Amino acid sequence: MIGVLRMVEHDFRNFFRYKWWLVGLISMNLADLFISALVYNNILKANVTSQIGSYFNFFAPGLAVTGLFASAFMIGREINMERRREVHHYMLSLPMTRMELAVGRVLSGGLRGMMYMSPLLLTCFIFVGFPTAAQLLLILAVLFMLAVGISGLSISIAVSTSSLEKFITARGAVYYMLFFCSTVFYPLTVIKTANPILASIAQMNPLSGASDMIRSILLPRLQIAESFSYYSIIYIAVFSAIFTFTAAFAYMKILERK
Amino acid sequence: MIERDVRLFFQYKFLVIMRAIWFVSQIALFGVIAANMVSVPDYFRYYVGGLSVMTLYSTAIFIGFDIYEEAEHGVFEYLLSLPVSRKQLVVGRSIGGGLRAFIYVGPLVAVSLFVIGGINPINFVIALFALFLFSFGVSGMSIAIAVSIKSSDRFDILMGVLDALIVRLSTTMYPLAIIQKTNPLYGWTAGLNPLSYAADLFRWSTGVEDIAQNVQNPLLPLLGIVIFFGLFTFLGITIYERLIEGGGWR
Repeated sequence: MIGVLRMVEHDFRNFFRYKWWLVGLISMNLADLFISALVYNNILKANVTSQIGSYFNFFAPGLAVTGLFASAFMIGREINMERRREVHHYMLSLPMTRMELAVGRVLSGGLRGMMYMSPLLLTCFIFVGFPTAAQLLLILAVLFMLAVGISGLSISIAVSTSSLEKFITARGAVYYMLFFCSTVFYPLTVIKTANPILASIAQMNPLSGASDMIRSILLPRLQIAESFSYYSIIYIAVFSAIFTFTAAFAYMKILERK
Repeated sequence: MIERDVRLFFQYKFLVIMRAIWFVSQIALFGVIAANMVSVPDYFRYYVGGLSVMTLYSTAIFIGFDIYEEAEHGVFEYLLSLPVSRKQLVVGRSIGGGLRAFIYVGPLVAVSLFVIGGINPINFVIALFALFLFSFGVSGMSIAIAVSIKSSDRFDILMGVLDALIVRLSTTMYPLAIIQKTNPLYGWTAGLNPLSYAADLFRWSTGVEDIAQNVQNPLLPLLGIVIFFGLFTFLGITIYERLIEGGGWR
């Protein structure tokens, strides 16, 4: 357990070394909210407006999930860099078990995601509304589970790719597939109108589950609040479990082999 | 140098395939779904036109990542030892970066044209010429930034921020009139954005521009792209040439 905490401490120290990275990520996220969301507000169809009210309010919870994804994914970038620069030999020589090393990395990726996402979630609360203490705890617990899953996904990709370009390209592909086929950017009813198969995938997407949960808590009177189902939390838990185990296993096996 | 950079790019089969998947997924997912959400008439075709230019931009940017890879793996010393002058090396890289992006985006533009429908041949040739200059300009901008900041991490994030601002404050995703209505400052920025010029000219050549009425006179965006190309090609070449000696690129 101490080994896990040491790894978390190590990764948190690294996280704060990337100040510019964090500033850049926050700028990108805020550009999405304060530029794109505001523009889309002015071009929504009337039936969509009746479901979601304002696109800005609809997208703000999605933005917190977007930020969570971007920052939890950063751990993969660091691990990919360590692999390319052969720092992983040093990591493997540390006085801790391989399991502690792997679990520590996955966990720290998730925790860093949570830390980064906090100001975005706060921005969402300020503009959309504040939850009760119990609702806040539920939101944080579900988002943490999601962050750990994303961190695991990122580590799995990082240890399987040998160059920065491949990692960045794979990150983009995962981003597009997961986000565009989710309710982060558009409500489920719109996806259903466009393609019912995509709507079924979007319903199971953990990013949809997290975004819709926050919306159903913060915007309970809107029609979209009804699209949230507590089954989504199960999907998030399954996603998190699968990628935590995959990442831990891949990290241990692939690094030992190189 | 041009041949080397073009060959190098197409050796990244993984990257080339993945980027094509990004492109198709954006059309098939975001384009199709968002068209059901917004009231802009024929938004799907409008978005596909803008997406081609966004892809051209993000592909031309990639020359900067190559410069970091070369520095990291010691390939830069090899390049400096080649029997080509410094000027040829630098100009070759700038042209190679733009040309390979243009070659790569070619089939994707063909997909866009298939989705969008008919084109005006003369307008299309003018638009292609403008896109050609645009990709050289972006490549020059990427080289200038890459050799100036000397850190692949900072470069990656700066490109991300630039991408976020340049793409969102442009007419690639929404018409200029709507941006102006949202915020006059956003509208003013989008009106001066080279990405807007490239997207508007591409749509103009395919007839999609009638949806948004962004282009009143095609000469103005063409002139904007020529200025962008001249400025950033000059900057890229000058900065790269200045930092190339004595390990200044490290």
